[in-house]
Amino acid sequence: MDDQRANDARDTDELNALIDSLLPVLVDRLEETGLGEIEVERNGATVRVRAEAGPVVPAGTAQVTKGGTARQGNESPVLSSEVREAADARRHLIRSTAVGFVTLAPEIHVGAKVAKGALVANVDVLGVAAEVRAEHGGIIAALKCSSGDPVEYGQPLFMIEAIGEGAR
Amino acid sequence: MSAPRRPVTRVLIANRGEIALRILRACRQLGIDAVVAYSEADRESRAVLVADEAICLGPANAKQSYLSAPAIISAALATGCDAIHPGYGFLSENAAFAEAAAAHGLTFIGPSAAVLERFESKAAVRALLAKHGLPTIPGSDGIVTDADAARRAAATIGYPVILKASAGGGGRGMRVATSDDDLAALFPICVQEAQAAFGDGSLYLEKYLTATHHVEVQVAVDDAGTALHFGERDCSVQRRHQKLVEESPSLALTAKVREEFLARAAKAIGAAGYRSLGTLEFLVGPDGKPYFIEINCRIQVEHPVTEMVTGIDLVALQIMLARGDSMPFTQAQVERRGHAIEFRLTAEDPANDFRPQAGEISGFRSPSGPWVRFDSHLYTGYEVPPYYDSLLAKLIVWGNTRGEAIARSRAALREVEIDGVATTRDFFLGLLETPAFLNGDATTGMLDSTGTAAILAAAPKVPR
Repeated sequence: MDDQRANDARDTDELNALIDSLLPVLVDRLEETGLGEIEVERNGATVRVRAEAGPVVPAGTAQVTKGGTARQGNESPVLSSEVREAADARRHLIRSTAVGFVTLAPEIHVGAKVAKGALVANVDVLGVAAEVRAEHGGIIAALKCSSGDPVEYGQPLFMIEAIGEGAR
Repeated sequence: MSAPRRPVTRVLIANRGEIALRILRACRQLGIDAVVAYSEADRESRAVLVADEAICLGPANAKQSYLSAPAIISAALATGCDAIHPGYGFLSENAAFAEAAAAHGLTFIGPSAAVLERFESKAAVRALLAKHGLPTIPGSDGIVTDADAARRAAATIGYPVILKASAGGGGRGMRVATSDDDLAALFPICVQEAQAAFGDGSLYLEKYLTATHHVEVQVAVDDAGTALHFGERDCSVQRRHQKLVEESPSLALTAKVREEFLARAAKAIGAAGYRSLGTLEFLVGPDGKPYFIEINCRIQVEHPVTEMVTGIDLVALQIMLARGDSMPFTQAQVERRGHAIEFRLTAEDPANDFRPQAGEISGFRSPSGPWVRFDSHLYTGYEVPPYYDSLLAKLIVWGNTRGEAIARSRAALREVEIDGVATTRDFFLGLLETPAFLNGDATTGMLDSTGTAAILAAAPKVPR
């Protein structure tokens, strides 16, 4: 029990430090890019920053979750379902096309613009590169992996948010 | 304890369905980590759900997942595995795959690539084992290259003959010809089937024995060549060369023939250079003598029958042999007790020519009770995908005698409830009332002679 409490306390400290260091940067990035939401994963924690998308929610809502691998990731919505759907409709996950080790293209980082059809990553399958191309153009809203990571087929590599109507 | 010759500390399970679960259980029992590799269609499969770790290989199409050597080996490397268990079917007997795995430093849980190559061609294996003292059915001298060569071979052997795919198994690329015209018409069809199923259209010819029992011997050989047998299984109840029911011991062998036959099979396979777990398949003709037909270089669907009568975990043994362990027991320590029967419950509709079924399992209840084993990946809400083999569950029942095993089987089958897809349950309930089966007279031709309809009609009504 004491161990659990100590762990929880340590987790909370880590999360607070993460928020302090990342939040200002992310809010700036949100404004620069016009994205609806940015998500960053670090050490198993996820920091997500959402821009004001309507009258319902205050600006710059941040949500932090701990320990989110793809299989455990149950994220509770912080926005009303309509706002979330509007934001989600513009967001697309770029997924791995093979099982192996991923190398992201050099220009891939949060806030970078990606053209539809661009080569965004390679997955090394026993020395043969399986291409990952962007099925949608837009701006990278969240990275879900780093170069060198082992990835499975269909694993989300990053999230692209389409820019156009509805974007600020 | 000395270090294993080949590492097996973390196993990638490159298969699906019930056998993926079976291998997972063996790994856990041995204290070995396991990662379940799956296709997109199996994301919600039970093996994936109960695994500590799982990795998606590719899309539902087996060619891009369970049959993709690069995807499987890459998945093993990505998850830090040092061994691959191929299960049965898919790449389990593929020498090129075993070789590629070894080239990437992975232990293939099965025979080495060299051994698989040696036992790859059915025609060559027949010749090899005949040399080591196993009687074989009269057949062509190796591969028959065209319809003319087949006709010449058939003239020597005498009709009926059976065309078989040299690289094959599971009944595909297999046809019975009763005349020259028949043979000429069937030859191209078999070539095509064999090419499509195994990537190799080579065929050979055998005398087709009617009214035979299919009897197979479970063997295992360690690195040093110590070869043991674990008794036989009778798999005579078949439909189009697909096994439906398996039991041990076989009623087709007399006590006098049995022990000599089993010992000879083990000796021959060890001497022929086979290593790992394997199965030698024989046909027993009306003369009561077994003739060797082929070898399976992998764990088989029906292995639990042998596990029930010997008390030996064959999957665990296979893993131990793969890492180079010495045979952990002697032949004298392999005791066979009582009688075991396995029923393959498949998603097929026996009332409709065994048409394959797919869809959601809307209700599921597994049988239980003393000496009842039920190996299945089903659960309520599970979606049976249309892409793969139709096996849903294996019911294996043990008794002191065959009669006791049959009585327990009847009770256990009545407890089975699988809703949402048609299954073979009622067919088995009917089979257990069919005199030919009860008398031990079931031969590989029984379904044709008795008829599925008559077997189904014999099934008692099970209230829901």
